[in-house]
This record gives sequence, structure tokens and C-alpha cells, in this order.
Amino acid sequence: MREDPSSGYSSGPDIPDEMRLLCMLHNIGATESGKSLTIQQISEWTRMDTPTLQFHLQKLGELGYVQFVRAEGIDKYHLTLDGIRKVLSIYS
Amino acid sequence: MLSWEFPPRVIGGIARHCEGLAKALVRDDHEVHVVTLDFPGSPSYEEIDGVKVYRTATELGHPNFLTWVLLFNHFLEKRMADISQQVEFEVLHVHDWLTAFAGISFKHHLKKPMVLTVHSTEIGRAQGLHSADSFSIDGIEWWAAYEASRVVVTSHSMKRESCDHFHLPWDKVDVIPNAIDTTEYNASVDRGVVRARYGVGWGEKLVLCVGRLVPQKGIEHFIRAIPLIAQSYPEAKFIIVGEGWSRDYLESVAQSTGHRWKILFTGFISDAEVIALMTSADVLVIPSIYEPFGIVALEGMATGVPVVASQVGGLAEVIEHDRTGIFVHPRNPESIAWGVARVLSNSDHARWLTQNAREILHKTYSWEAVAMKTVEVYKKAVG
Repeated sequence: MREDPSSGYSSGPDIPDEMRLLCMLHNIGATESGKSLTIQQISEWTRMDTPTLQFHLQKLGELGYVQFVRAEGIDKYHLTLDGIRKVLSIYS
Repeated sequence: MLSWEFPPRVIGGIARHCEGLAKALVRDDHEVHVVTLDFPGSPSYEEIDGVKVYRTATELGHPNFLTWVLLFNHFLEKRMADISQQVEFEVLHVHDWLTAFAGISFKHHLKKPMVLTVHSTEIGRAQGLHSADSFSIDGIEWWAAYEASRVVVTSHSMKRESCDHFHLPWDKVDVIPNAIDTTEYNASVDRGVVRARYGVGWGEKLVLCVGRLVPQKGIEHFIRAIPLIAQSYPEAKFIIVGEGWSRDYLESVAQSTGHRWKILFTGFISDAEVIALMTSADVLVIPSIYEPFGIVALEGMATGVPVVASQVGGLAEVIEHDRTGIFVHPRNPESIAWGVARVLSNSDHARWLTQNAREILHKTYSWEAVAMKTVEVYKKAVG
């Protein structure tokens, strides 16, 4: 059941791609505004392309799991408390 | 005490267990230091009812789950190294595999005994080992149990599972049940107001299910029971409290029942709201397919709601069928519907069940009793 969100070798049940991204954002430490990351930085960590990231981040934002802060005209993303709880519910 | 979750970082039962145990140990004049992970908005150190809580930030991350676990264990070790400059620990108490690395290395460094509480196992949670990560976690669980001087589990079924799977000597494992603070569940609640808040009117039945939205909780089977329950109780409303990665799937199952408008997924809600809902519900369903203990059953019993639960794991030990609750077959919607009807069809019997449940609760499942038994385990570990 516990599936490594960053790996493709699990034969467990599928976790939706946006949840996989949410887990990765959590694991790389984007858990509060001071640790928020730009799409470029997230892309470097996750190896996901920008359009895909934008699509998933928008969905995660609508679900209330991710929010962004704008600094010097650049959006930076981090998990909300509900987002953190969502990830931990996958791992516990 | 080492735990990856401690309030307000609450996900499963581990945080509540650690909090209840730690506070009860302090009341019994023991010094308790809890080393755990940080949570936004919480201080890195605070004292809660005498429990010293150290929240540790993970300064380095990695997308891979197991790598992240290894990294945060490093920061836990670093924090413990700092604390151990000023505090002389006598026993290390590790909760589950997630903090095993830090616990084991500190056991060897301090030359002090380590006690491990196994709250659940990977093979049980996952209903098998289906991935490389699962195999790895299973190995870490075995390793932690091997390194521990004593192993604690919360039910006899978990003792059988742990001894069988990890080949542990039977006498190395102690059973100490979970507990709850019943005073937290005596809140004065206006049932009508709470029910109205969730769209449940007078004369309508409120069927509640509380649990993480993950397959081991069996919530899919509860949802599939809803059309069967609705045949006899068309006015019933169904509230599912909890969050988890299978929420999307469960919502699609709810859609397929033809009764979607009667089903509410609340997501994560506060403890106070959970208590208010339990107090206002007509029946609490716990449809788990794997449950090492099932603390939610105790919570339901404490609020006075009749409990209908799968006869699995720890639930089978907490509940006495037709005396303190109703057992149903796991993974069986027909059986769940039968159990719900058994409660809803006879309010006198339901009231009798809840009275019996409250008596058992006060006698057996207090944190003081848990702390006393845990201290005995610590004494055995120290030798």
C-alpha cells in the first residue's frame, strides 16, 4: 500500500500523479512559506516538465493542499497544513 | 521517546498514543523527553503538561520516501546528541520503524536499552509486501524488533502477527492496549445543532465512519453497504470523516452507489469536531480489514455512540459482540448493513450496548493503566 511516490517500481495501488508530486514536495521540504520553491526548482528535484508541474500544482491548489507566495514576481509553492496531513496519511 | 508524529502532528494513532502515555508517565513522576519531527506553527521545544517535546526540522530533503526517512533520522540523531549532553536517559522508547534508525544508533551510543512499540506492520498495512519499498520497510521493522530489548504491541493479535512474522521470542513481546482520556469525550454537545451543521435533520439517522481514507480501513466496503442500509432506512445520512490518498477512489465508489447525495466526505476535521459528530451520531461504523488496535472504537465507546466494527485484529479484543458493540464480517457490505440495522432497529438494545461499553472503557483502557504496564516493561528492559 505504501508506495514510493518517486519511484515507478511499486506494484501497489496507483497513487494519482498530483499526489505523487505532493509527496515529493513534502519530502524535499517545501512545507511552509519560508521553504517554498519555484517551478524551476521543483522541476530540478522531480524531473517533471514545467507544463505538467503547472497542471498538477493548479489541481493541488484547488484541493487546498498547496499554496503559493509571490516574491519579486515569481511564484513559489509550498504545502498547506492539509497538504502535509494528506502526505502523512499516505505514509502512516 | 522517539516518534515521527506527536501533536499537533497527528495522523494516525501513534501521536495520540505517545501523548497519552508520555503525560501519564509524567503524572507518575517519570521524566519524559519526546523527540519528534517539526510541524509548521509549533515551537522547536516546549513543555506540555510536564512532557518535554523537542521538534526537529529536517534540513535536507529528497523526493524518495525512504531517503527522506533516513535523512530525518539523521536530524533526530543530531538533536538527541544535543539533548543527551544535558539529560541522562535510562530507556529509549521508539514508536514504529520510522524512527528506528535514530533509536538503534542511540541505543548503541548510550549503551542503554531500547523498547520498541510496534503499532502496526508493513505486511499488515499493505496486506502483503508488494514493492521494493515494502520489502525494505519490512526489513527495517524486523531489524528494530531484533535490536530492541523489549517489544510492545497493542493487542494479542498483533503479538501473534509480530512473533510469527519477525520470529520473535514469545516472551520478548508485551501486550499493552491503547487507551484514551475519557474526560475529553464528555463534552456537552447540542446534537441537533451538530446534525444540522452537517445537513442531518430531525428523524434522519446519522451513520458515521471515522478513519484514514486508506484501503486497510475498509471504507470502500462501508460505502458499498450504503444502498443496502438505505433500503431499510431511506432517510439515513452517511458521514465519512478522515483524509487519505484513496479519497478520490472512494468518492467515485460513493458516486456509483446512486446515493451520493446522502454521503458526505468531511476530510480532516478537528478532534473536538470528531467528538461532536460521534456524540451526535446514531451509529459508528469501523469497517477495517486490518486494525492492530482500533483506538477509534474506544473513542466511539467514550462518546456513547453504538459501535459496529469488523471482527479483525485488536477490534476483536476491544469489543464484545452484542454486549459492548456489534461485530460484522470484514470486506462484507451485507454484513455491515446487517450490523447497522441491528443498532438502528432497536434503540433500547443500542443504549444497553453503549452503557456496557462505557463500563469496560473505564475499567480497562485508561492511560494510567497503560503507563503502569509500560513502566514494568522499562524495568524488564533495564534488567
